[in-house]
Amino acid sequence: MKVDVVLFAHLATFQPDGKGGRHSRAFDLAEGTIIAEVVEMIGLPDEPRVVFVNSRHAPEDQELFEGDRLAIFPPVAGG
Amino acid sequence: MRDIVRVNMATGAITREPLPDGWARYGGRALTSALVFKEVPADSDPLGPDNKLVFAPGLLGGTSAPNGGRLSVGAKSPLTGGLKEANVGGQAAHALAKQGIAALVIEGKPADAAARYLLVLEADGAMKLERMDAWAGLGNYATADAIKETRPADDRYATITNGPAGEMLLKAAAIAVSDPKMYPNRFAGRGGLGAVMGSKGLKAIVVSDKGLPYVEHADKDAFNAAVKKFANALTTHAVSGQALPTYGTNVLANIINEAGGYPTRNFSAGQFEGVENISGETMREMTLERGGNVKHGCHTGCVIQCSRYWYDKDGHYKTKGMEYENVWSLGADCGIDDLDAIGDLDREVSDLGLDAIEMGATLAVYMDSGKIAFGDGAAALAAIKEIWTGTELGKTLGQGAEVTGKAFGVKNIPVVKHQALPAYDPRPIQGIGVTYATSTQGADHTAGYSITANVLAVGGSVDPLKPEGQAALSQGLQIATGMLDAFGLCIFVAFPVLDMPEAFEAIFELAEAHTGLKWDADALMQVGKETLTYERLFNEHAGFTNADDRLPKYFYEEKLPPHNVVFTVTDEELDSVHDFVPAVAASLGIK
Repeated sequence: MKVDVVLFAHLATFQPDGKGGRHSRAFDLAEGTIIAEVVEMIGLPDEPRVVFVNSRHAPEDQELFEGDRLAIFPPVAGG
Repeated sequence: MRDIVRVNMATGAITREPLPDGWARYGGRALTSALVFKEVPADSDPLGPDNKLVFAPGLLGGTSAPNGGRLSVGAKSPLTGGLKEANVGGQAAHALAKQGIAALVIEGKPADAAARYLLVLEADGAMKLERMDAWAGLGNYATADAIKETRPADDRYATITNGPAGEMLLKAAAIAVSDPKMYPNRFAGRGGLGAVMGSKGLKAIVVSDKGLPYVEHADKDAFNAAVKKFANALTTHAVSGQALPTYGTNVLANIINEAGGYPTRNFSAGQFEGVENISGETMREMTLERGGNVKHGCHTGCVIQCSRYWYDKDGHYKTKGMEYENVWSLGADCGIDDLDAIGDLDREVSDLGLDAIEMGATLAVYMDSGKIAFGDGAAALAAIKEIWTGTELGKTLGQGAEVTGKAFGVKNIPVVKHQALPAYDPRPIQGIGVTYATSTQGADHTAGYSITANVLAVGGSVDPLKPEGQAALSQGLQIATGMLDAFGLCIFVAFPVLDMPEAFEAIFELAEAHTGLKWDADALMQVGKETLTYERLFNEHAGFTNADDRLPKYFYEEKLPPHNVVFTVTDEELDSVHDFVPAVAASLGIK
């Protein structure tokens, strides 16, 4: 199945294609893949992060489905 | 020494008196709100002689407390009609505090409306008003240059200036404060306080702190230990230690857009297709390419360093690095996805002395009328430039979103208590809707920044799409913010404070070591509650009721894409936010 993966701020450098940037990449994943497995695949550092699937917060044990958009941020805030 | 300095603009008299004993725990917003509550009739004309404009550094102003150099500016607001506190960084708070000034109160009104005054506060305590009528109509940058001509070459000073918008008494007028490089680019933005300054004929204030030491502490060693503890917390938390210094406040653009709460084209959508072009990440990349600064503090003692400078294509300073709010208001809300166009707009509203949030929201409402197109940065800039000459359009825009929306027959006008909503849609982020609706300040995100638990996973987690828990969250944050504003602490210390117990402890350790008074968590929150109580009661006296603590009707009825939700927090829940006020008022002996 295809899932769009977007990484923001300094996490963008972890995109497997090495090109950085905040544009989405289509990942080809096995049915039943959960967010934590994608995080491990990308090799994100073991640090706090904020995760969205289709613009809603998602726990990392959540299963992904065809056409989902997975967005991962480091802790950010402002005002 | 913590004194009140009073400047009577009708007589020219300047007097100095000690702060009343009962206010020893008050600084910043606690002091501006207490003073306005006590001395300004709630039914007075905001632009008349009875209103007072109060500048107060926080309780930690003039010290080395990390991020303790915020300035509170208070008055009855010409925009909201309620008690206003506008909060600003820059160098003025520390300079006033080092002079021993707890509150600078501008009173009365000159007989000659054409008069323009410069208030000079020298480091040795000398104070004078100088008539500078030739400065009438100058922008903030030209005013800062004109002030420089009057100062010795080796001086060290801060400026507080009022642009043409304030002189024209426009309700969106803001007050500028100089940053460490003397640019007049930090703003006490909200609520039209520039118009109050203009009504008093006060064009500018210069505050010298040349040679003045930090304010003394009751216990220097304990204070220094608390400084280390607090600074360590601020620099190790991921938000205040990494994200904010690296990307600035505009780091929020992508995450708020991802959450579907980034108000686009006058709050008609929650995601902007052009967000990547105006995001904090892109802004950093462009700024570095142009040789701009991407990391500094807006005031001495800031360890977070979220400020930056925006440079034009030729590598010249244009304006401050646009904050998240400014990029949103002059960008996404207007459908503009070009940082140079946004930078040009930001420079223009800053030089005129206008609140960028109000003006972006105003332009978006104007675009919604069809008079100019969404996304047309050049037309937006041309419209803003009309404020310089005071054309009918210019004067209308300068009164803010509500006046503009009504003038051009726009259906959806995003205001609460006549003040424009900031950069978060309250439908998919319901917690911020509670703050917008109930804040004493009118729609204001900083008054109780519920974005923390709603979107950012800071200080816990609440479902942003649901009403549950939002009223209690906003209440707690509004009280805590009142406290931070009283101490002169930057609101961004809240991120580590919400997550790290030692950061919260450090605040009352700083307070105790500095003042010699006993402080604990309850005492801190009591100051926050008392601050809000003064504001709430003033607003009641000015005619506000619970019916004013509501969002515009369309937020309850019109679904916002992509989540297709409306605001669902009940009136009863909104009315619970200020349930502490009667008891606090009784304890203060006020009604």
